[in-house]
Amino acid sequence: MAAAAAGGTPREEEGSSGEAAPQPQAPTSAPGARLSRLPLARVKALVKADPDVTLAGQEAIFILARGPELFVETIAKDAYCCAQQGKRKTLQRRDLDNAIEAVDEFAFLEGKFS
Amino acid sequence: MAERPEDLNLPNAVITRIIKEALPDGVNISKEARSAISRAASVFVLYATSCANNFAMKGKRKTLNASDVLSAMEEMEFQRFVAPLKEALEAYRREQRGKKEASEQKKKDKDRKTDSEEQDKSREEDNDEEEERLEEDEQNEEEEVDN
Repeated sequence: MAAAAAGGTPREEEGSSGEAAPQPQAPTSAPGARLSRLPLARVKALVKADPDVTLAGQEAIFILARGPELFVETIAKDAYCCAQQGKRKTLQRRDLDNAIEAVDEFAFLEGKFS
Repeated sequence: MAERPEDLNLPNAVITRIIKEALPDGVNISKEARSAISRAASVFVLYATSCANNFAMKGKRKTLNASDVLSAMEEMEFQRFVAPLKEALEAYRREQRGKKEASEQKKKDKDRKTDSEEQDKSREEDNDEEEERLEEDEQNEEEEVDN
């Protein structure tokens, strides 16, 4: 994973738009300690898109970046169960749809992409 | 240039990596499934933000804070995320403290460096002044003796 400025320049606060290249967080000194992989700048952009939100603290943004990572892992695993049942090794879109229908927690996703 | 909030996608490469690490080796994911998950993640952020904002407004605050988001997770029935998120938050806070101390230390070192450079300069000036004073004193002594 390319390490962004080791000098500690907070790129996420500058709001750099890395549309093409992903901007992962710089790894901390502890080996393998990756706090969050999603770029905080993108998350902040999503948060600001909500017209009701005035401001969000840095810690809030961090959790909002980390949460979806856990969510992606969870939904990927659930979708994989469906693929396994179909004896497939490639996750398809319909596996995802099935997972969303099957799991209550994913109800908020229904009808969000069609 | 997003027209709708849902169009603000998170980077595909990162999403793919998270998915691959969550699944056993040898499992693939179709492009459609991956982009659907990516959109789902964006929707998740938006939904969580909206929930968290409700908590902030309840607390009569205008700024979303960490506990608002954690409460939102519970509200969204993702309680199982709360514990790992709290751990991640602690680690993040430690890292921020470390970064802050590191940059303060750097600043202190920088100040100390410029201070010592200035001291060297002013020491030279002091020496020059002392020499002038000594000369004046000698002249004064001579005058007194005359009187």
